[in-house]
Amino acid sequence: MDDSAPPEGSGPSNATGSGTDASPAGVEVPDAVADVVDADTGEGELERTIGLVGGLAIGVGTMIGAGIFVFPGLAAENAGPAASLSFAIGAVIALLVALPASELATAMPRSGGGYFFISRGLGSAAGAIVGIGLWLGLVFASAFYLVGLGSYAGQVFLEAGIALPIDPAIPLGVAFGVGLTALSLFGTENTAALQNGIVILLLVILTLFLSYGSLDALGVFGAESTPERFFPPGGALPVLQTAALVFTSYLGFAQVATVAGDITEPSRNLPLAMVGSVLLVGVFYVVTIFVATSAFGSVRLGEFGETAMVEVARSFVGLPGALAIVVAGLLATFSSANASILSASRAVYAVSRDGIIPEDASRLNLAYGTPHVALGLAGGPIVVLAATGQVALLAEVASFLHLVMYGLICVALIQLRRERPPWYAPSFRCPAGFAVAAVGGLASFALIAFMQLASIAVGAAVMLAAYGWYRYYGTDVELKGDF
Amino acid sequence: MTETPADDGGAQPESGEDPATERDPATEQPPAIDRPSVLVPLAVLEGESLPNGTPELLANAHVVLLGYHAIPEQTAAEQAREQFGETAMSKLDEFADRLAAAGAEVETRLVFTHDEEITIDRLIYEYGCLAVLVPNSTECVDSVFVALRGTVGVGRNTRLVAGLFADGGVDVTLYHALDEGETPDDGESFLNGVKADLVERGIAPDRIETLVEDADASIDAIAGRAESHDAVVMGETDPSVTTFVFGMPSEQVAERFLGPVLVVQRERPEE
Repeated sequence: MDDSAPPEGSGPSNATGSGTDASPAGVEVPDAVADVVDADTGEGELERTIGLVGGLAIGVGTMIGAGIFVFPGLAAENAGPAASLSFAIGAVIALLVALPASELATAMPRSGGGYFFISRGLGSAAGAIVGIGLWLGLVFASAFYLVGLGSYAGQVFLEAGIALPIDPAIPLGVAFGVGLTALSLFGTENTAALQNGIVILLLVILTLFLSYGSLDALGVFGAESTPERFFPPGGALPVLQTAALVFTSYLGFAQVATVAGDITEPSRNLPLAMVGSVLLVGVFYVVTIFVATSAFGSVRLGEFGETAMVEVARSFVGLPGALAIVVAGLLATFSSANASILSASRAVYAVSRDGIIPEDASRLNLAYGTPHVALGLAGGPIVVLAATGQVALLAEVASFLHLVMYGLICVALIQLRRERPPWYAPSFRCPAGFAVAAVGGLASFALIAFMQLASIAVGAAVMLAAYGWYRYYGTDVELKGDF
Repeated sequence: MTETPADDGGAQPESGEDPATERDPATEQPPAIDRPSVLVPLAVLEGESLPNGTPELLANAHVVLLGYHAIPEQTAAEQAREQFGETAMSKLDEFADRLAAAGAEVETRLVFTHDEEITIDRLIYEYGCLAVLVPNSTECVDSVFVALRGTVGVGRNTRLVAGLFADGGVDVTLYHALDEGETPDDGESFLNGVKADLVERGIAPDRIETLVEDADASIDAIAGRAESHDAVVMGETDPSVTTFVFGMPSEQVAERFLGPVLVVQRERPEE
């Protein structure tokens, strides 16, 4: 805490020092850094078009699909009602990372998010591991969302009374993966408006459902809640293991940083969107688990699997409730999968721009204006992974790769605050920066330890491969401080 | 650029207000009065080029030439700039040279955006543009059709028309479709007032015609009447719809008329 005082004092003068170059008026310009990035240097200027609502929608839309519509059954099976505590732990860790990430994002409002911060703050090797890891982490996350989407699509057949010979979740998930990749390849106009609409609709459905469910659980409607011990038999360990599993529900806030280059007034909107979306979904998750575990015992919930929330809604208001949740689940997992595919392609762009992978990977196709190679590098492996159908493994590997990045984001913050390079002039400063970053970094790395061995092995293998690629291809790339 | 736009017209009072000596892009002050600012948006990378007749039409204007490239949301703006920036800029410079050769004062901007309406709107504010051009081609610029809705903001129309065409050679037809409860006499006196204003601003009286019509569908009427002219000047759609530059009526007129349409912008509130 004491360490944070000197940079706090010298920061503002540092900021205005470089800010005055861009603004002859001499008044404080909070987005001076962004203005420099956008300005015309002979190749045109950039328009920022995503506002605060758009930023929040990206964060919430990416996250809410998993935490509410896929995990409750699995989480309750592992940790019982204390699964709500697991979600709360995840929210705290995500917040501890979102604050340092916000500071870094306002200092570097460029596309690429966590990869950009780490490669500039800690150098190319760490950057390469995180950049390639972020791409594959998002690939795993997308595959996980697609399996969830497939489960909800399969539920549609069940509700319609159509019996299928096999579980349709995986084939449908794969089909959606192919469809979404094609959709993003051939241009989607106004996906942002669509995304905002979906998120608002989702929040309305969930608010109604959870309000009703909470009142019901508290006995207002005279129905009996299922009394159950809060902690599972294993004590704190299953709660932490579940926290590691469900952390995938909090990956979305970093996606806001990957589109930092398109966000208006980044000094204000980036921190608000990142922190706000984590708080919002965190509250929804905790209440969801509370409602779900009051409606059914944890074992029953576990048997329902990915679509447990449909049964919870059915127990409250019958078929209409079940249908509403099926629709909401389809929308939520769809928007999560879509957002993750797009983010994965942006991650590919970010590393290829820097020459860590061949530049051809970020070629745009002039007819559609879309990065077809990058989208292919995202969509291809996503479809393959979705076909495995390993929900828990996919989720944990995605979390593993993201948690490594989160930990390193915190390290990068500490490093940059110590070094104070001249270009580092964040307009948002994380309160108690050193302490928050230290705790956030440690917690991120610690959470990895509670994952299944298989997930840790796959995640570590991906990181090793990423480092191997860097040694083979990118050792001459120097990114530290390249801004 | 240094060529004075007024040629053999002779009697123009241009000596006192010639901005030729101070054509510095950094000083945005003088053209606001003499040379009307006109925004010309072109989707440069989608093959949109400067249509024929545009340099002649805007010879007396302060042209803000906006090259934009609308990119889909799945693409980072930086990514597009990196790949297409140089190509787009060289095309834009070529167009700017053509405009300048005809006498216009030109500023170019190239913007990569996810939403061209936001970009166009921002630049209208930034430069205080009187009008936005819907870029269609025309063979020549001999007669202009000016559709006027009413007294609100009509001054901007006259400033634009006088600024662009006061140096002679262009016939101006003032048109007004009667509103409900308006008599033809009201319409005539309104247009005569506008005409007097234009004459005062330097347009020869014998070049101005007035036309009042009791038309139900003014869009059809405007598009139909405009067919015998080379360019159209008309106002923005509905003052209550703020952001849409090419509001429906002007867009519809442009689609049917197929020639250049200058959409006069409302006075923008101070930021």
